[in-house]
Amino acid sequence: MNQKKENNKTSLIWYSRLILPVALWVILNLCSADFLLKVEERSHFEFDWFWFTGFLKEPSGLLSWLGLFFTQFLYLPWLGSLLWVLLLTASGELTVKIFKVPGYLSVLAYIPAFIFVVYNMSMGYMVYLMNHPGYFFMPVLGYLWALFTVVIIRKPHNPAASLIITIIIGFAGYYIAGFYALAALITACADSFRSDRSRLSRILILTAAAITIVLSPILMVSTTEYYIGTGWTLGLPDHVHTVPLLRMQGALILAMIVLLLISLLPHGELNGKKYIPIIIQFALLVGIIASTSILWYKDANFKTELRMIRAADNMKWEEVTRILEKASQSQDSDWQPTRVMVTLKDLALIKTGKDGDYAFSFSDGSCEQKRKWDVPMSIQIGHTLGFHYGIPGLCQRWCFETSTILGWKNIIFKYSAMTAILFNNTALSEKFLTKMDNTLFYRKWAKEQRKLVYDRSLMQKTAPYDLVLPLLCHEDRITSDLEGCETFIRRHFTGPSPVHSTPMYDRAALLFAMKSKDPTLFWTRFVLYLDSNNPKKIDRFYQEAAYLYSQQGNSDLLLKALPFDEQTKNLYKSFQNLAQRTGPKDLEEANRIFPANLRHTFFYYYYYVNNLKLF
Amino acid sequence: MKKITIPAFALLLAACAPKAPSAYDKTDSVPAIFPDYTDVTIPRNIAPMNFLIEDDADSYITVLKSGSAEYSVKGSQVRISQSKWKELTNAPEINVQVYARKNGKWTAYAPFKMTVSDEIDPYISYRIIPVAVESYEKLTIRQRNITNFKEKVVVSNTMIQDNAQGTCINCHHYQNGDTDNMMFHVRQYKGGTILVLDGKLNKVNMKTDSTISAGVYPSWHPTHDYIALSNNWTHQSVHAASHDKLEVIDENNDIILYNTSDNTVSVIENDSSELECFPGWSADGRTLYYVSAHYEAPFGPDRKNQMFIDRKKLHFSLYSKPFDPDTRVWGKKELIYDAAAKDSSMTWPRVSPSGRWMVCCISTHGIFPLDQIASDFVIYDLNDYSYRYADELNSPFAESYHSWSTNGKWLMFSTRREDGVHTRLYFSHIDENGHFSKPFALPQEDPDFNREFLYAFNIPEFMKEPVHITPRQFASFISSTEATRSKYESKKGE
Repeated sequence: MNQKKENNKTSLIWYSRLILPVALWVILNLCSADFLLKVEERSHFEFDWFWFTGFLKEPSGLLSWLGLFFTQFLYLPWLGSLLWVLLLTASGELTVKIFKVPGYLSVLAYIPAFIFVVYNMSMGYMVYLMNHPGYFFMPVLGYLWALFTVVIIRKPHNPAASLIITIIIGFAGYYIAGFYALAALITACADSFRSDRSRLSRILILTAAAITIVLSPILMVSTTEYYIGTGWTLGLPDHVHTVPLLRMQGALILAMIVLLLISLLPHGELNGKKYIPIIIQFALLVGIIASTSILWYKDANFKTELRMIRAADNMKWEEVTRILEKASQSQDSDWQPTRVMVTLKDLALIKTGKDGDYAFSFSDGSCEQKRKWDVPMSIQIGHTLGFHYGIPGLCQRWCFETSTILGWKNIIFKYSAMTAILFNNTALSEKFLTKMDNTLFYRKWAKEQRKLVYDRSLMQKTAPYDLVLPLLCHEDRITSDLEGCETFIRRHFTGPSPVHSTPMYDRAALLFAMKSKDPTLFWTRFVLYLDSNNPKKIDRFYQEAAYLYSQQGNSDLLLKALPFDEQTKNLYKSFQNLAQRTGPKDLEEANRIFPANLRHTFFYYYYYVNNLKLF
Repeated sequence: MKKITIPAFALLLAACAPKAPSAYDKTDSVPAIFPDYTDVTIPRNIAPMNFLIEDDADSYITVLKSGSAEYSVKGSQVRISQSKWKELTNAPEINVQVYARKNGKWTAYAPFKMTVSDEIDPYISYRIIPVAVESYEKLTIRQRNITNFKEKVVVSNTMIQDNAQGTCINCHHYQNGDTDNMMFHVRQYKGGTILVLDGKLNKVNMKTDSTISAGVYPSWHPTHDYIALSNNWTHQSVHAASHDKLEVIDENNDIILYNTSDNTVSVIENDSSELECFPGWSADGRTLYYVSAHYEAPFGPDRKNQMFIDRKKLHFSLYSKPFDPDTRVWGKKELIYDAAAKDSSMTWPRVSPSGRWMVCCISTHGIFPLDQIASDFVIYDLNDYSYRYADELNSPFAESYHSWSTNGKWLMFSTRREDGVHTRLYFSHIDENGHFSKPFALPQEDPDFNREFLYAFNIPEFMKEPVHITPRQFASFISSTEATRSKYESKKGE
């Protein structure tokens, strides 16, 4: 009977340890697949010797390389997340086994793994700033290295052998895993005091570990180009922009402290106390689940942006607007999109030719991204906007800036290659495409792109070039993007008209003229639009702008000459009536007062969407 | 025993060396190789000229012969051992024969040669920079022993900068290739100009109340304790759709003379309607060459934008100015090349140590050849100031910074010829008539290096010996020392 109860208790512990990883894997795939894809897209792994040797130059470089190796599998989120969950599970299970963690405390052994989960999944917009290659998988891999170190140092009981092994594994470990190896040595020292080894052996391990911890960073860092202060934390993500060092490193250091504490836990079960182990286990589980759930970054706008960016990068323009539409439908009437959403939506509408009928049918605004640190829009989507808006100089600039600040990434290689192809620079295209040839998941893409390098006639009918070339009809000009890439794009399209423009360019220029609310510019662009597009029917929002400006200018001639729809006239009338009756002071108030059909007009944009903060 | 073993091992290796096929077809074309080392002239002390055969085949054998020395390599990567290379470069010519096997049949390409010529300075230094416009993160000035493949860091900004405060390092320069007298600038955090004078470290701030900025582009006097430097207010702007990434203008430029013996600065040229830049001494130090563009627009907040609008009107002409190094008295400037009249722009005058030749960059407009695809080299014969485009050196992409070897036989220059973006280093031999040999890329152990490497080489300079101060000594000195302010002194003469 007792045996049966004991078995039940064990089963419960086992189930909880089994359920958590499975649940994590399911949640990752159901709720955070877009984020995982973003992590992968902003990493790069090559099966290439030259590339590999670059990692050998720095302590912890091998761990970075290994981290990147696993990160590439996030290209298939189910696979990458499965590998991650398996490694996390292995870290928990091995901790239990190596330190003989008693059953009733076994969930404790999972705490480091959950710190790693929280660290990665609470990142949000920090994903754009992470410059440490392999950062996503490195913590769990470093932790596993630490466990391996403890096991190796445990093996010899001979004091001299212990001394030698500790020094060797310490120095080699630092070279391989940096900070994690040093943390492992501290844990191994604590572990040695729990074992039945001799006092001399313990003292020697302690001495060897102390020497290694102090000397290995000094010796190794003195041979590199690094500042000495960073030697002990090599392997941990470094300070980026305004993100404090504590945010980058604190949780990971805490995880290794937890490992140290686990190594000091008492052995043995709580005999005779039937429910206490279950209660402890349950409490730990609830604590872990609750804290993970609270700290997991779940901002809806962030998710929408990720999906829109991905759709834009994959040239699924209809999907870009669909995602925004869906996101706005699930929000209140005063919901505002972020500038990332607005610029991508405008881009998608220009690409699909729906700008004239849909550009103002979405809510506009400048909702701040929910983040604590500055993440310039140029770093987020500068390359995407530059390329697809037909400004390759902007794309190339942000590819190079991003790669300099944050390292080379798959998405940056992709856009760099496409820009080089657009510039007809064969050698440069080959350089970047070769980098993609060396990857597991992008080599097919590279092969397809290479066809365009040697046969430019294919560009006219191949995405994304088919929809970029019509916007590339402008002459070169110089300008500054220091105010942000959105301002740069606006200035580009409201600048001098190209000598040989295209219908798409003229539509884009007209849209940005409307956004500038400059009637003179509007009329200039409107004429060009009519001339090049020769529309059978003037698109809805162009009509609204023309009607509004004609009314403002009391231009009877224009009001009679242009074929305005009755719907445009009626909407204007309704809008003016409501505006005069209620006189809302600002956008927030207007959002509450105006019904959707009047909110989604150019009139509304013209009068109430003001002072938007552009990025 | 040892004496027997080594030759036996060598014999064994020789026996394993691939042999040229006995039966093959011939083709008139030379093989496509990277870097292109076909029919180049090389220094006798240069590192092995490893290369990659690019023609598609199943297998390759390359045979290098010179005098009695012979060396053969199997495979598309031709990597030559240092010792064998030394034997090969003992003769005046190395003949290279490449065989390729495709579908079971061997083909012999037309052989090509490498002509072995004068020695070159054993060391060079350069800055390794990312290709970004504004960001830099990690910058290093490195030195390379070009007789082999050893490269070391001279100084790295990562050893100096604080996380939140970046440090830029630039414009390293030597007096006649002597590393005991060298300099470089440190900008932003812990900024100042680092001067090594007779092997001792100094940190100075050359900005005075009477000059517009700290020193920028330097030229060290060949015999005296002077450095001529430009002063610059630099701005840059991005191209929307051009092979040129960047447009650089200087809102204002002057030229100053810095005296290293008493830390004084005096103005050489500071005409408010002229933009004077890029000083370069003649070999005897009695003439200073520089460039200048005439530009008139009021100084104020709009000047910068106006200059960007007028950028294509900024034509830098070449001037010379006599100088007596003993009395520090200047003569009157003389126009050598009127750039405005020829709708072009001349920059970076650099005189050969022989005093006979001067190479400059020439472009359509502006001051920054590095970012102008149109930038090429011209060579002046200083005997009669005649010049010609150095077409032997020029490529469809930008040629920019250049440096003469201390024996005056070699020109090293940076060029974007390989892919239009990543600047690489090339060398060329000059003969007594001022003709350059076909340029060749700096040899690398991995012949594919230039294609794989995603950074650019910048400001290549020859050195007779390595820099003896360690990176850590530089870093610790820069971090712990405040820059001494230079004193202003009036110009003499004219």
